[in-house]
Amino acid sequence: MKKKTRRLYLAAGAFVFAAGAVALTLNALKGSITFFYLPSDIAALAAKPTAAIRLGGLVEAGSLQYGETEESGKPHVAFTVTDGETRINVAYVGLLPDLFREGQGVIVQGRFTPDGDHLDAETVLAKHDENYMPKEVADALKESGRWQETGGKAGTGSGGRN
Amino acid sequence: MRGLRAIIARDVTLAFRAGGGSLPAVAFFAVITVLFALAAGPDLTLMSKIAAPIIWTGALFATQISLDQIYRADREDGSLDVIVTTSGELALTAAAKAAAHWLSTGLPLILATPVLAILLNLESEAYLPLLLSLLIGTPGLSLIGSFAAALTVALPRANLLISIIVSPLYIPILIFGAGAAAAGAAGAPQYAANLSLLGAATLFTAVIAPIASAAALRSNMD
Amino acid sequence: MPSLYEFANPVLFERWARPAIPWLAGATALMIFAGLYYALFNSPADYQQGDSVRIMYVHVPAAWMALFCYSVIAISSAVGFIWKHPLADVAAKEAAPIGAGFTFLALFTGSLWGKPMWGAWWAWDARLTSVLILFFLYLGYMAIWRAFDDKARAARLAAILAIVGFVNIPIIKFSVDWWNSLHQPASVFRAGGPSIHPSMLPPLFLMAGAYMSFFGAALLQSMRNELSARRQARLERTDVKAASTLVEQ
Repeated sequence: MKKKTRRLYLAAGAFVFAAGAVALTLNALKGSITFFYLPSDIAALAAKPTAAIRLGGLVEAGSLQYGETEESGKPHVAFTVTDGETRINVAYVGLLPDLFREGQGVIVQGRFTPDGDHLDAETVLAKHDENYMPKEVADALKESGRWQETGGKAGTGSGGRN
Repeated sequence: MRGLRAIIARDVTLAFRAGGGSLPAVAFFAVITVLFALAAGPDLTLMSKIAAPIIWTGALFATQISLDQIYRADREDGSLDVIVTTSGELALTAAAKAAAHWLSTGLPLILATPVLAILLNLESEAYLPLLLSLLIGTPGLSLIGSFAAALTVALPRANLLISIIVSPLYIPILIFGAGAAAAGAAGAPQYAANLSLLGAATLFTAVIAPIASAAALRSNMD
Repeated sequence: MPSLYEFANPVLFERWARPAIPWLAGATALMIFAGLYYALFNSPADYQQGDSVRIMYVHVPAAWMALFCYSVIAISSAVGFIWKHPLADVAAKEAAPIGAGFTFLALFTGSLWGKPMWGAWWAWDARLTSVLILFFLYLGYMAIWRAFDDKARAARLAAILAIVGFVNIPIIKFSVDWWNSLHQPASVFRAGGPSIHPSMLPPLFLMAGAYMSFFGAALLQSMRNELSARRQARLERTDVKAASTLVEQ
């Protein structure tokens, strides 16, 4: 083979490989390869997963309940994680991170109870969004009705892969 | 083409001969998995859960210790100079060297995996995903590794430097490979996505690594 | 091979680098004081995070610099590799420890920020992992330079590694968009303008400016050090006698 034709074949081969890599990546991004599941992802499964999973979503407003506190000072808490379509109940024993609020994004890690009723969380991570502003501004925005719940939404999932 | 085939055949033959790299790599793989298992303790359910990650890291380390040999012998007996100066397309030759390394290390590791998986109490439905992920991922390990070997070929003792260079480049393959094995075993939807990304990583390194290896080999000529 | 060309260029470099360093150092000092003043005393607490948001002013610019320094290394490596420009090699070499420092700072402050906010010092999500890979890449790059005595060869090999490792940079940038990650998406450099309130931008940009001019000053000074070390080594190598008489005088 002449050097020129060989180079051509080589470039073509490299191009095919690179194109394959890009196609596979795009294929993967279409599917789910995520740090966490959304509640709807769980609902789409045939059965509740038995292994430990990460579940991400918003803490539903008004769902946080405190139970008794253990001797070690760890409170029992229960709340609901939602992505606007599906709701999943979560139980947790321990201190919640500072950013944990109703209406804010969280990622909980744990496993479902055998009856699939709720998720027993081992860790609760609070996820925050890309919006930063002083409290007064946030209050003023809410008051004037221009407040958009973009933060929680975009931050936690439904629009997470924007 | 005939030259490339000759290089692969020669490297594979040498690797399986006494003093070659294949047997020590597989032995190291077996030893490291057994040590992991001993350290993890007698809990069999825990063991079956961490079996796939243990095998993946074991395969990664076993690949890593054999990398130094890819160009070492050629350098010592002077044939590397001949290869570099007479190769029509050095990148292709580098790809052939990586292929030979995979045939003599990656493939034996995959063949040894089912036996070690029994020791680690791997669940039966986890075998296929694990073997498939290794089959797709280990060529990437050989390709990246041959690049690191080419970079350091001029150094007398390069193993430590090779592992420093190779570790960050191996992380994506390790994450997607072990991720695919775990997701496949659990029947989770991330299986296909992880396998795709693993395949993408291997294909991508198949383009980059030979070119980079060729540049490194030329830079290392005296 | 050392050539006249290698000498001629550093002379020019020395002529503008030496006077530039004090200015850059002064700018660093000014901006870091102003930036810290704004960050700690004259900027609002966040509506969600409270005062913890102030970690952002150290963390976010450090993360920018981590990516920027690596890009500087990769670009100078390419210039050095293709055109064999000796100053480009020196710039790439000397940018690495500074970049590694910024990367470490970003990881460290991120960890400090993550504990109170997320509830964890560390999480294996795409952004954190890819930045950790960047840190290891810096270490590997510096290890190559240290391993070879022959500087010209080290430069070429390190350049190849730096260029290959550049793949990681877009992955870091877009990791938060491609994967549902724990880390929040970009707030400043994003389509649709910053999502940070204007009152929080001055400390952010002042700190970024301080880091940038620090990088400039540190890079120029360590390049000068490296060049003079090489000059000295060459003198010792080529003519020990001439060098020693020079010293005696």
